[in-house]
Amino acid sequence: MTIIETLFFTIVDRGKANAVLHKARECGAKGGTILLGEGTVQSKLLKKIGVTELHKEILVISASEELSDKLHDTLCEAFSFSKRNKGIAFTIPFKRWHKQTSGQEEKISGNSSYEHKITHYCIITVVDKGRGRECIKSAKTAGARGGTLIHGRGAGIPTDFYFPLVIEPQKDVVMIITTKEKVSPIRERIFSDLDLGKAGNGILFTLPITRTSGLFEDRFGESKEGTS
Amino acid sequence: MSLLFEKTKEVLRTLLPVVILVLLLCLTIVDVETDVLIRFLVDSFLLLIGLSVFLYGVDLSMNPIGEYMSQEVATSKTPIKIAILSFLLGFLITVAEPDLLILGHQIQEASGNTLSSSIIVYMVSIGVGVLISLSVFRLLRDKPSYSAFMAVIYGIIFILVFLVSEEFLAISFDASGATTGALTTPFVLAISLGLSNIKGGKNEEENSFGLVGAMSAGPILAVMLMSIISGQKHIQGDAGEYVYAEGVFGPIISMFPGILLESLIALLPITILFFLFNFIKFKIPKENLKGITGGLLITLLGLAVFLTAVNSGFMDMGRIIGIEIGQMNPWILIGIGFLLGLIVVLVEPAVHVLGEQIEEVTSGHIPISLIRSTLSIGVGTAIALSMVRIIVPEVKLWYFLIPGFVIAILLSFIADPVFVGIAYDAGGVASGPMTATFVLAFAQGAATIIETANVLVDGFGVIAMVAMSPVLSIMILGIIFRFRHKKVEYPIVAKKPAVTSHLVDEINLEHDCILVIVNRGFAEKVVEVARQSGAKGATIMRGRGADENQKVMLPIINIELQPEKEIVWFIITTDVSSSIADSLLNDRQLEQDGEITVFVSPTEAMVRTFSTIHVSENNE
Repeated sequence: MTIIETLFFTIVDRGKANAVLHKARECGAKGGTILLGEGTVQSKLLKKIGVTELHKEILVISASEELSDKLHDTLCEAFSFSKRNKGIAFTIPFKRWHKQTSGQEEKISGNSSYEHKITHYCIITVVDKGRGRECIKSAKTAGARGGTLIHGRGAGIPTDFYFPLVIEPQKDVVMIITTKEKVSPIRERIFSDLDLGKAGNGILFTLPITRTSGLFEDRFGESKEGTS
Repeated sequence: MSLLFEKTKEVLRTLLPVVILVLLLCLTIVDVETDVLIRFLVDSFLLLIGLSVFLYGVDLSMNPIGEYMSQEVATSKTPIKIAILSFLLGFLITVAEPDLLILGHQIQEASGNTLSSSIIVYMVSIGVGVLISLSVFRLLRDKPSYSAFMAVIYGIIFILVFLVSEEFLAISFDASGATTGALTTPFVLAISLGLSNIKGGKNEEENSFGLVGAMSAGPILAVMLMSIISGQKHIQGDAGEYVYAEGVFGPIISMFPGILLESLIALLPITILFFLFNFIKFKIPKENLKGITGGLLITLLGLAVFLTAVNSGFMDMGRIIGIEIGQMNPWILIGIGFLLGLIVVLVEPAVHVLGEQIEEVTSGHIPISLIRSTLSIGVGTAIALSMVRIIVPEVKLWYFLIPGFVIAILLSFIADPVFVGIAYDAGGVASGPMTATFVLAFAQGAATIIETANVLVDGFGVIAMVAMSPVLSIMILGIIFRFRHKKVEYPIVAKKPAVTSHLVDEINLEHDCILVIVNRGFAEKVVEVARQSGAKGATIMRGRGADENQKVMLPIINIELQPEKEIVWFIITTDVSSSIADSLLNDRQLEQDGEITVFVSPTEAMVRTFSTIHVSENNE
C-alpha cells in the first residue's frame, strides 16, 4: 500500500468549524463533514455552578497522510491549537474504500506501515442516550482528560406500541482521546462502570491515532505533544 | 467558554440594538424623564441576566422534561392514553399561564361581566389541550400532512370569522398570543422535538416543528366559539387610565415578588406532572433528577427577573415613545414601529429557543441568522401596518389578517416541508412577553394620542398581527428553499423487522470500524444494505457537509447552504467487513444519489467479555 489515507478530525467551539473548513480548503482539502457535539468542562469553578456543557463542532475531513500533516501545521497556526481550550485535531488512519480496488484488497488490520507512529488512541463508546456523561465521568476517574459527546441514533427496531413506530433508539456517542499508555485502564474502567458486558448496554471500540494537535495531558499546560 | 456565557453573549447581541435605538430616540426626538430612562437602563441589564439565566435553565430542565414526557406519550399502547396524556399536557401548561389570566380579566371587563374570566381561561386551555392532542396524533401517524392539517384548522377559523365582530376577532388572536408565553413555548417545542426524535423516519425534521403553531390555533377557536355561543358581539369601555411608575428601583423591587409568584404558578403544573410520572414511571437517576430540579429553579428565577425587567422598565418606555412620536407626526410612527418590530422580536425568549432547536435538528443546515432576519422583517412589517391601522381608522384588522393567513396556507403546500412547521411555530414564538409589553405599550401610547383610534380595539389587534406576519414571511423563505438548486430525493426503504438486537454477540474477534458518509435520508438505506451483507447494528449521526462539487445555493438571496449529511458507524467483524464495504459501494442508488463515501479502519472493540482487552492488546 503506497498511500495511507486518513480521516482528519478537528474539535472546535461551535460556530468555528466553518472557518476551519475554509482554511482547510485552502490547504487542498476537498470537503468535510461537520457534526454538532458537546464537550466537557475543565474548570472546577464552573462545574460547581453546574455548568457542564460546552457546545462543540466536530469537523471530519478525508485526507491523505501528507495533506493531513499539512492540515495539522496550518490549522495549528491559524487557530492556535497549541493554546489551551482552543481546539484539538487528530488523525485516524482510515482506508478509503474504492470500488476498483475492493477485489484484491488485503486485510488492512495487518498493515504495519503506520503502526509505529501510533501515539494516541481514540476510544469511542456508544451508549443509550443520557449515559454519555456517566461514561465521560468514569473515564476521567481512570485518567482521561475529557471527552466529546455526539448525539446519534441506533438503527431501527420495530415495537408494538399503538402506532407502529420503528423506534430509533437515541444514543450518545462518546469520543475520548488518550495516550497509548492510558488506553487500557480507561477502557476497563468504562467497561466495568457502565456494565457494557451486559447485552444492550452499549459498545466500546478504539481507533488508533497517528498524530494529535492541541492535546493537553495535565493541568498545568505543558504540552506533551503539541505536534508529535 | 461555558454555555451560560454563550447565552449571555447571544442575548446581549440581540438586546443591544433595542437599547441603542431607545437611547437614540430619547436623546433626539423623545423627551423622557430621567428616572424612567435610568430605570430602563437598569432593567435592560436585569433583562440581560434574567433572559440568559432563563434560557440556560430551559436547557437544563424543560428540554429533558419535554423529552421524558413525549417518550411517555409516544410509547403508549392505547390511543386513549395518548389522547388523555397529550390533552393534559396542553391543558395544564395553558391554565397556569399568567398572561392568559390577565387577558381573561380584560375580556370580562370589556364584555360587561357577561363572560367570566375563569370560564375564558378554562375554555382556552381546553382548546389548547384538544389541539395538542390532535396534532400529536397527526405527528405519530404522519398523516395527513402538516400543511393540510393546519389548512383545515384555519379553514374552520375563517368560517367563524364571519360570525364574530371585529373586536372579538382581535381578542381571539390575542388570546393565542397570550397562551404562547415565555414558558409554554419552550416546553411545547421540546415536546415536539422529543416526539419526532422517537418517531424518527424520513419526516423527522419536519415533525420537529409545528406543535406550537397548532397549539396557538386552540385559543382562537375557543374564544370565537365563546363569543358566538354567548352572543357577545361588542366590547364596551375603554382602557383604564395608565399610571406611570415613579423612581428607579422602587417599581422594580415592588413588582418582583408578585411576578415571582406568577412564574411559580405557571411552572408548577408541569413540575408536578413530571414528578408524578417520575415517581410512577420514569425513576430517573438521582443525579439527573438533581440537574432537572436545579434547572427548574434556575428557570423560575430567570423568568421572574426577565418579566420584572420587561414590565417595570420597558412598558413605560414603550408607552412614552408611542405618545411622544404620535404627538409629533403620526406618520413617523410607521417608520419607528417598523424599526422596533425589527429588533424587539429578537429579544423574545422563545425566538432563541426556536433558533437553537432549528440548529440542533438540521445540524446547522438552515442558518439561524436567516430565520431570524426573516422573522424580523415579518414582525417589523406587522408593527408598521398596525400603526397604519391606528392612524387611518378605515383600515380594518381583517384586511391584513385574513389575506395574510390565506396566502400563508396556500404557500404551505408548496413550501419546503420543514419550513411549514417552523413558520406556524414562529407565529406563536414571536408573540411573546416582549411584544405583549413593550410593543403593545408603544401601540397603545400611540392610540391614546391619536383621536380616531380606540386604545382597546387597536391595542388588541397588534398581537394578532405579530402572530400572523412571521407565518407568512417564513413561509416565503420556505418557498425559496424549495427551489434551491440541488434537490435530494429520499429513497424509499422497505421497513422490515430486524431480528437481531442492536448488540453483536460474539465480539472476541477482531473488528473493523466502517464509517460511511452519505446524504441525509440515506442512512436507513445504508443500514439496510449493510444488514443484508451481514452487519448487525449501526449508529447514525447527523451532520452537515461541505464539498467543492456539491454546492446548494438558495436562489434570489444567493446564500450558500451546507448540505445535510448522515454518518453511519458500523463495528463489524473483519471477515465480513470488506464484503459490506463492497456492497455499499456497489449499490447504485447510494452511489448516485447518496454520494456515499466509505472508510474502513481496524479497531479493537470491547463488547461482550472482559477478556477482550487482553486479547486485543496482543493484536496491536
